[in-house]
Amino acid sequence: MALSVEHFGRTYATAAGSFTAVADLSFTVASGEIVGLIGPNGAGKTTTLRSLAGILRPTSGRVRIDDYDLIEHPLEAKRCLAFMPDEPHLFEYLTVMEHLRLVARLYGVTDVVDRAAALVDELQLTGKEQALPGELSRGMRQKVVIACGLVRNATTLLFDEPLTGLDPIGIRRMRSTIVARAKAGAAILLSSHLLHLVEEVCSRVIIMDRGQKVADGTFAELASRADLASAGSNLEQIFLRVTGHDAHP
Amino acid sequence: MFSASLYIIVCSFRNRVRVRLQRLRQPRYFIGAIAGAAYLYFSFFARFRASRSSVARRGNRPSRVPGSLAAPLAVAPALGALALMIAAAGAWLFPVDSSLLEFSEAEQQFLFPAPVSRRQLLIYRIMRSQLGMLFGSAMIGIFSPPTLGVSRLRISAASWIILVTARIYFTGVTLARARLGASGRTRRVAWLPVSALAIALALVAGAVGAQWRQTPPADALAGLILIGRAADSPAARVVLLPFRALVQPLFSEWPGPYLIAIAGALAVLGTVATWVLLSDEAFQEAVSDVAERRSREPVKKGEPIYKVRSTGWTLPPTGRPETAFAWKAAMQTLRMVDKRSLLRGVIILVCLTIVAALMGQANGLASMLGAFSIAGTLFAILLAPQIVRMDMRQDLQHLELLKTWPVKASAVVRGELVWPSVIITACAWLMLAVATFLAGTMMTHVGLGLRLGGGAALAILTPALVLSQLTIHNAAALIFPAWVPLGNQRPRGLDAMGQRLIMLGATWLLLVLSLLPGAIVGGIVWFALQHFIGAAALVPAALVCTGIVAIEVLLATEALGPAYERLDVLAVERAE
Repeated sequence: MALSVEHFGRTYATAAGSFTAVADLSFTVASGEIVGLIGPNGAGKTTTLRSLAGILRPTSGRVRIDDYDLIEHPLEAKRCLAFMPDEPHLFEYLTVMEHLRLVARLYGVTDVVDRAAALVDELQLTGKEQALPGELSRGMRQKVVIACGLVRNATTLLFDEPLTGLDPIGIRRMRSTIVARAKAGAAILLSSHLLHLVEEVCSRVIIMDRGQKVADGTFAELASRADLASAGSNLEQIFLRVTGHDAHP
Repeated sequence: MFSASLYIIVCSFRNRVRVRLQRLRQPRYFIGAIAGAAYLYFSFFARFRASRSSVARRGNRPSRVPGSLAAPLAVAPALGALALMIAAAGAWLFPVDSSLLEFSEAEQQFLFPAPVSRRQLLIYRIMRSQLGMLFGSAMIGIFSPPTLGVSRLRISAASWIILVTARIYFTGVTLARARLGASGRTRRVAWLPVSALAIALALVAGAVGAQWRQTPPADALAGLILIGRAADSPAARVVLLPFRALVQPLFSEWPGPYLIAIAGALAVLGTVATWVLLSDEAFQEAVSDVAERRSREPVKKGEPIYKVRSTGWTLPPTGRPETAFAWKAAMQTLRMVDKRSLLRGVIILVCLTIVAALMGQANGLASMLGAFSIAGTLFAILLAPQIVRMDMRQDLQHLELLKTWPVKASAVVRGELVWPSVIITACAWLMLAVATFLAGTMMTHVGLGLRLGGGAALAILTPALVLSQLTIHNAAALIFPAWVPLGNQRPRGLDAMGQRLIMLGATWLLLVLSLLPGAIVGGIVWFALQHFIGAAALVPAALVCTGIVAIEVLLATEALGPAYERLDVLAVERAE
């Protein structure tokens, strides 16, 4: 499995004691698979993704990326991974091209010029190669973050709200990019509130609520579950039923 | 609107105080507050007590002004008035955006669409700026010398009137500037204050010029007194009247003269406020202009502005990760500082040094430049590592990104140290080279061997001193992220000030401790060799000391690796 999560949990220390953001979460994502991670606000999606990316340390459980344990072999695991956060963190003093060069250097990508040119074209960043982040719109900055994630040969891609700030053409291109990467063999975990996007590109979906996994399966599997049968095959209906919000208009 | 303005101001102030008090529950803020309070007590209040007891010793007799200060003090009101007039004229020549026209995003969102007149918005903004100005004038009162014979409270009140008048006047200039290009009566009215100021300046300049030609001053102080007397001449007095009225309370005796002077200053304040409030039709446009200019700026206020320019350094695709971090920080420097301007500065410094050395000791240039370069060297070595924060202290803001990179933790720490140490060392070396070059002119009693040996030894020690301090600062950022201001943050408050003082003291203590082994071994080397090679023994001693410190730094970066791995992004986010 490209990505394997076993009994993962994350607890935060707070002034009032401790708060469990994610508890006992287990799932896998195979190569070529696109899995949607959805849930209401505060469900623990971003905590999960940040922990899988090595930003937060898991309180419990194991995370393996391409058979490398994230805690025991962090460098090897991170080399196989690309995380595209929802908030584009860029260095204000590096140009778009310099961001790509820096990431390529740190990940040992030698043919950065060709790769960068292809990505700039794919993500519609042409003409912005020498621009600083301060000169870019929110959507453009998001594209730079995604380009930095795609410039190396990552086998596991983590997307957190990848369409935030993108225009309709950008959204369409991004969908194609995600699907193309999965077809090329990457394992993709995608978190989004845009259920129609998840429905369109994902082959499987994991629904989280209050830090726990409440559903995991293909749309057909979820629709055929006894407790969800009446919700229909629509992901929105399934989501509302699973999270207990279907009673509200 | 008045009550709404007051509500916003009171609520903001109350909430700010509440947040500051609430955070005292955390030990770091509590300890910081104690340290800050102790510092304030010993710096200011202890001074008050000392000055009070000195007054008591004098039997409450007013302090006598020393004879040498009598003449400058006599013309001080005229000089103050002249300075204010020059500042007032400068506002037209060198336009800056008035801070009273800067509204926060929340203010723009809530107040602009509200049924509030432009004048009311301006009054609100003036009211909101009062807290800062009251604090500023209180500080002026606290720092004022007791020899003036007026109480600090009276000085604070007089300063407050000047500050408020200046703030409102600058707003008026910004508003009037927008109308300078208009047509008809609006244009004529807008040009009126500019013309009046120009005539007034010409009159005063004429008076100063006439006196200067009559009796050229012997030195700078005499020149200042001459300018003051010229500004006190009848014609100049008339045109300087409003400016004189503003500064007069600072020099007036209590109670009668002071109260009359305060009334005069308040009249000027009232006139300026009326001028601004009557010209508020340009307010909306001026506010929009300021907001637009701010929005065009690529970064938040107070943050550095980066410009895309060719740096001549392309990151090669392979190599050590430390180099990549150094390159990243170098790009930051080169995007902030223009290489050509920097080169010009260095060339000017080098030329000045050569000229000063050629002119010899008789001229003061060599001594001045020498003293400046020694101070610059010491500043670069001892304080720049605290100020230049292009390392982990800044990159902790990007920790979320850094943590995803497949780079060994110790390499990250080392990489963060490379560029700041290079750039600080380069600055220190430049200043040291100037000082060593001029040492022959400045310190003729010190032998050439000692001058060269000492200079070379300090040059060798510089990278060690700089790296050692940077390592300590970065270690503090990794181990106690909450104690270290990140990036361009400048936390305010007594507790934050105390935290900074504690950190500074701890850093210097650790610096001494980290240098101790190197200093001891280096001292032994010097002692052993100085009988044979004299002052040149300082060089091998410095080399040994630097080597030991380099090993310490290398070991420290390895030891800090686990601290970086353990560092929780949330700890940094909370600290921010």
